[in-house]
Amino acid sequence: MLNLLLTRLRSSRPDHRQRWDGVGEVPDGSQAHRRRWLPRRLALAALPLLAAAAVAGCGSSADGGGVETTASKPSRGGTIQYGHLQEPPCLINTWVQTGYLSRQFLDGLVSVDGKGKFYPWLATSWKVSKDGKTYTFELKPNVKFTDGTPFDAKAVKANFDAWLDAKRWTYNMYVGYHVANVLDEVKVTGPLEVEIKLKEPHDLLSVLSQYAFGIISPKTLAGSQANGCEKPVGTGGFIVEKWNRGKDVVLKRNPDYNSAPGNAKHQGPAYVDGVVWKFLKDDTLRYGSLRTGESDVIYEVPGASWADAKKRYAILQHVTGGVPVRLALETQNGPFKDVRVRKAFGYASDRRKAVETVFRGAAPYNGNGALSAGSPEHVEALEHAYDHDPAKAAELLDEAGWTQKNQDGIRVKDGKPLTIRIVYSPGNNVTNDDVQVLQIIQDQAKQVGFDVQLKPVTQAGLWAGEHHGPGEWDAEPWYWVARTAEILHVIWAPASEFGGTPNGNNPGGYEDPKTWALIEEADRTVDVKKRTALYQQAQRRIVETDALVLGLRPLTVNLAVGPKLRDVWLSPAIGEPVFTDAYFAK
Amino acid sequence: MSTTVDTFTVAETAAPRGRRRLAGRVGRRLVGAIGVLFAAATVTFFLQALMPGDRARLIINQSNGSLTNPTEAERAAVAERYHLDDSLLSQYAHYIGGLVRGDLGVSYFQHEKVTSIIGAQIGSTIVLTLVALVLAWIIALTVTVLAAGRDNVWSKLASGFQIVSASIPQYWVGTIFLVVFSIQLGIFPVESGSGIDGLILPAITLALPVAGFLGQVSQDEFSRLLHQPFVTSSRTRGSSDLSVRVRHVLRHAALPGVTLSGWALGFLFSGAVIVETVFARPGIGSVLVTAATARDIPLVTGVVIVSAAVYVVANLLVDLAYTVIDPRLKDQ
Repeated sequence: MLNLLLTRLRSSRPDHRQRWDGVGEVPDGSQAHRRRWLPRRLALAALPLLAAAAVAGCGSSADGGGVETTASKPSRGGTIQYGHLQEPPCLINTWVQTGYLSRQFLDGLVSVDGKGKFYPWLATSWKVSKDGKTYTFELKPNVKFTDGTPFDAKAVKANFDAWLDAKRWTYNMYVGYHVANVLDEVKVTGPLEVEIKLKEPHDLLSVLSQYAFGIISPKTLAGSQANGCEKPVGTGGFIVEKWNRGKDVVLKRNPDYNSAPGNAKHQGPAYVDGVVWKFLKDDTLRYGSLRTGESDVIYEVPGASWADAKKRYAILQHVTGGVPVRLALETQNGPFKDVRVRKAFGYASDRRKAVETVFRGAAPYNGNGALSAGSPEHVEALEHAYDHDPAKAAELLDEAGWTQKNQDGIRVKDGKPLTIRIVYSPGNNVTNDDVQVLQIIQDQAKQVGFDVQLKPVTQAGLWAGEHHGPGEWDAEPWYWVARTAEILHVIWAPASEFGGTPNGNNPGGYEDPKTWALIEEADRTVDVKKRTALYQQAQRRIVETDALVLGLRPLTVNLAVGPKLRDVWLSPAIGEPVFTDAYFAK
Repeated sequence: MSTTVDTFTVAETAAPRGRRRLAGRVGRRLVGAIGVLFAAATVTFFLQALMPGDRARLIINQSNGSLTNPTEAERAAVAERYHLDDSLLSQYAHYIGGLVRGDLGVSYFQHEKVTSIIGAQIGSTIVLTLVALVLAWIIALTVTVLAAGRDNVWSKLASGFQIVSASIPQYWVGTIFLVVFSIQLGIFPVESGSGIDGLILPAITLALPVAGFLGQVSQDEFSRLLHQPFVTSSRTRGSSDLSVRVRHVLRHAALPGVTLSGWALGFLFSGAVIVETVFARPGIGSVLVTAATARDIPLVTGVVIVSAAVYVVANLLVDLAYTVIDPRLKDQ
């Protein structure tokens, strides 16, 4: 019976799915293995929480939270030294790297686990109208922002207003892309009740569970951008104490924290006194800082140290959903106007092997270029849509009329060589490892007769659209973080949705009314099974029929956790690290 | 120590004529310095402003972390905030106007005053640079005094050391130091932070190439001077070899090195970019890297102006140091 309970407990642990399974190689009973699971005494202590979570999971309305684990508690105290990589320019914006950090001081309305089950967070319960267009949220009482402002329905409305106002610094494009098109009205219907009205039914809970929807103090929103960037305030488990630019953000424990999500390992304030969120940009230094114990946990283990880290540390990995890192193909100009050439380019290189060789496990291959394996609607079969097949590539190119070859072995048609320009920005939309993958693609595609030219641009060049105009490029790598297939809407919305302005998230420019109809229908379908099926049809059209994208790898969040630190977990939404449950073993 | 006293005595007697000349020279220098700063500001501003691409779009995309086509309303809001749709000349006039008032503007991406961003970071870089300069001199002089003019294994090793350290890439040295002394041996912290123990590895990494250059220059001069008549005469007066080297020859041999120190300060200041990254030290170098890759015009221009100012001040100080070391220059 106890074993059964423990098994259930393990599979219910919110971060279970995110755990890297590499520790399975370690013989049973080894230290690494023991570290992987909760000690029994702790597991038993967590049982009441499990019960609460189970209740929370039954139906959309629930009252979670408030459950304290009274038996043997994890130890209090200590400060977590966390070695991160990228430093955001401002602590409030929609970049995912900012999201990891803002998760520490902001709470969302709802939370989600790895199986797609929603839990109460700042909203204790919610009701959805029969037509799926009206969501009524009951908010958690007695919650305060750490500047003393009470959290209530007005505060929620103030956030939506601030996010959607393009004239204010608080404008939030993530929110804009994900719900602006369906959002009708956010109404305060009681001191602690908010009604969100939609123009069409939509999977609103999933949207709200993501980092960009963290509720900010109305005082911060009303203040200056300089203040909002430097010292934003939320209701979260930690408080931004000081940002030492170029070095770290010092987060201090919120002693009055009473709004942990329903799927947290405990309710109430964090066990630790704080987190020092350090920006360690150099790979050697970041891993070295974990090795010497100067950091208790680090982000993004460098590929060269991956094998070593797996032996020494507990590794947490989250395969982030949304659009994986993939090549978007320019379909309006150049050789890729012809779908046969797009498919030939897919068959021309062994991207699976390239990713496996370069990343050595730090990120898996994601051949389905439409959706990451981290999103629940991901079509597994599309992983093999364009497996390496040079003969097929050659056949398709012959069919498309690229039959001649010049003295360099490059195919020629109407006197023009088959040149493919890949534009990318190292350190920004791709890592140095991705660049190695692109080089392998370049080499292999040449054997079929493609002249692949790699065109790196600077960060500023990238954001300003260098080499990005019509006819200036043929393929570019890009990813877009989201939890589910809702990202398809963001990427494939036609220009008509934006009053004729081309959708910048679909740089390839291809618009297929059938695919768009499938996505729109999926977006407004409430039934999960039906919705998933529609999204999957859309993926097949994007990848198989139209070959608009070539998948490389999903975005991953990798944490290596030192031996003393326990119970760090990655939020199943986007992979944000969560430190409020973490404690130091004695 | 007696050398310093001598210098001051000479300086006292040469006044006030010498002092007026000094004031004149400093004045001319200041005018030149302002010219240099103005040119630095102008060139940096136009270089960045004239780069292709829409800055409003750049700012929007950068803060969203995605490449999008912003709507006209979104674009207009940002353009208005930073006066991006004004004519280039009016933007420039606005910028220079602010500069004269000591206002370097607001960073596009950090949304904070450039002066306060730089102010918060420059101290750490100045400390690193000065410590590195002192270390460079100590290393260079020790090697020179002990090895110059001799022909043995040590002198060969010394000149080998100077050549190697002058040409070695700092990024590589820094990483090796980090792996060996911090990660493997655990003598120094991996993250250097602000403590003194964390300053040693970055400062040595930064100092090595400069020590090499200074050493090579001083050593040549040192060897030449060892054959001068005043050396022979002090030897005949019974001074020990070390005393001759330290008290008489060194002072002359140091002059070319002092000239180089102005250059060295600039070199160290820019070298700090690499060292600060390798050792995760905050500082103006890492600010510049971030700002330049993001084309944060106010911040890049601000850092360039401040760096130019440091360079100008350093050279001014070197000029003054000259007269301290070689009093003859006062009357020239």
